[in-house]
Amino acid sequence: MRSPSRNACLLSGLWIGAFFFFTIILPITAQATDHSKMINCDIHHGTCTQKLQGTDIILDISPKPVKAMTDLKFTITLTGKQGVSEPFIDLGMPGMKMGPNRVLLKSNGKGVYSGTGTIVRCPSGKRIWKAMVTVPDKGSVEFIFDVIY
Amino acid sequence: MSSIETLYLTFLTTGFIVGFGHCIGMCGPIVVSFSLNLKTKGVMAPNLLYHVGRISTYAVLGGIMGATGSFTRITTGIGDLQKGAMIFAGLIIIVMGLGMSGWIPLGRIFGDYCRPEGIIARSFRKLSGIQSTAAFLPLGLVLGLLPCGPVYTALIAAAGLGMETQNTFNAVLAGMGLMAVFGIGTVPALLMVARLSGMGWLKSRDIIYKVSSILMIGVGIYFLIKGLRY
Repeated sequence: MRSPSRNACLLSGLWIGAFFFFTIILPITAQATDHSKMINCDIHHGTCTQKLQGTDIILDISPKPVKAMTDLKFTITLTGKQGVSEPFIDLGMPGMKMGPNRVLLKSNGKGVYSGTGTIVRCPSGKRIWKAMVTVPDKGSVEFIFDVIY
Repeated sequence: MSSIETLYLTFLTTGFIVGFGHCIGMCGPIVVSFSLNLKTKGVMAPNLLYHVGRISTYAVLGGIMGATGSFTRITTGIGDLQKGAMIFAGLIIIVMGLGMSGWIPLGRIFGDYCRPEGIIARSFRKLSGIQSTAAFLPLGLVLGLLPCGPVYTALIAAAGLGMETQNTFNAVLAGMGLMAVFGIGTVPALLMVARLSGMGWLKSRDIIYKVSSILMIGVGIYFLIKGLRY
């Protein structure tokens, strides 16, 4: 059976380790995790396109360059056969829970949908964001891009 | 269930989930520093008051977002305040860490050698000696302004809710309610961190105090740099 002082030493060590992990390691590694390899969209210089069940989904965000903490216009263009429901966009960061930030889109006709939204600034300094475009009855695609803070 | 109630439930859940991930990483160091600085006192009452202050600030911001229906206009307006809150958080953690370490006789330096009634001496004494339970309410009110991604996301929803509401009074209430439930959702995780760091056996261990004070100073510098660069 372990002596009380040995238990206290063990607990002290565990506590210091946990403190070190949560206050130093976790914030630094969260910041250092490289999500830049996931980028699949150069939104600052034009539109981005992905395919979903034979439909081209074209994302555009304006004004450019795309900056956080400003009002942004999101435009989705769908080619091919149109569904009944309007698509929508969920904004978030890869690997970080930020809460629901949904951009609702309205039809402008001919497969073009637009709406306004905001990409927020993360104090960690991470600048990689994702826009998950959901087309009801078809599914979702992710556009991953960097934003300017 | 109405759409407002659904949104409240969504953000209560969001607060709870981000509390155990994002908040522990970002705001955990502040809570740990406060709890360690309390030394022999209980941690629950001061921490609860801190959260009441923090949630009150969230609610006020939510009310303003609801009334104006504009997230970007308000956040642009309070940008400098948020930067100031981050720098303040860094400073307060550094001073608490220095005060706790005991290696640098700051108390004596500021108490005896400098003018005791000077602003630096008074500020140092106040910041390093925050142990009065009531002091945690204003601390929470100020640090509720800390910039944070999930808080921003909830504020966007509060602004959106305001735009959907018929009159300004209801918009203010809806925005305040949403931010309040979001803040309440984040409390369990941070209280758990405070409880763990404020355990009695822990506070009686001198070595933990010494190591923690160094870590606190490091965390404070991290916050300070982040604040200056924000």
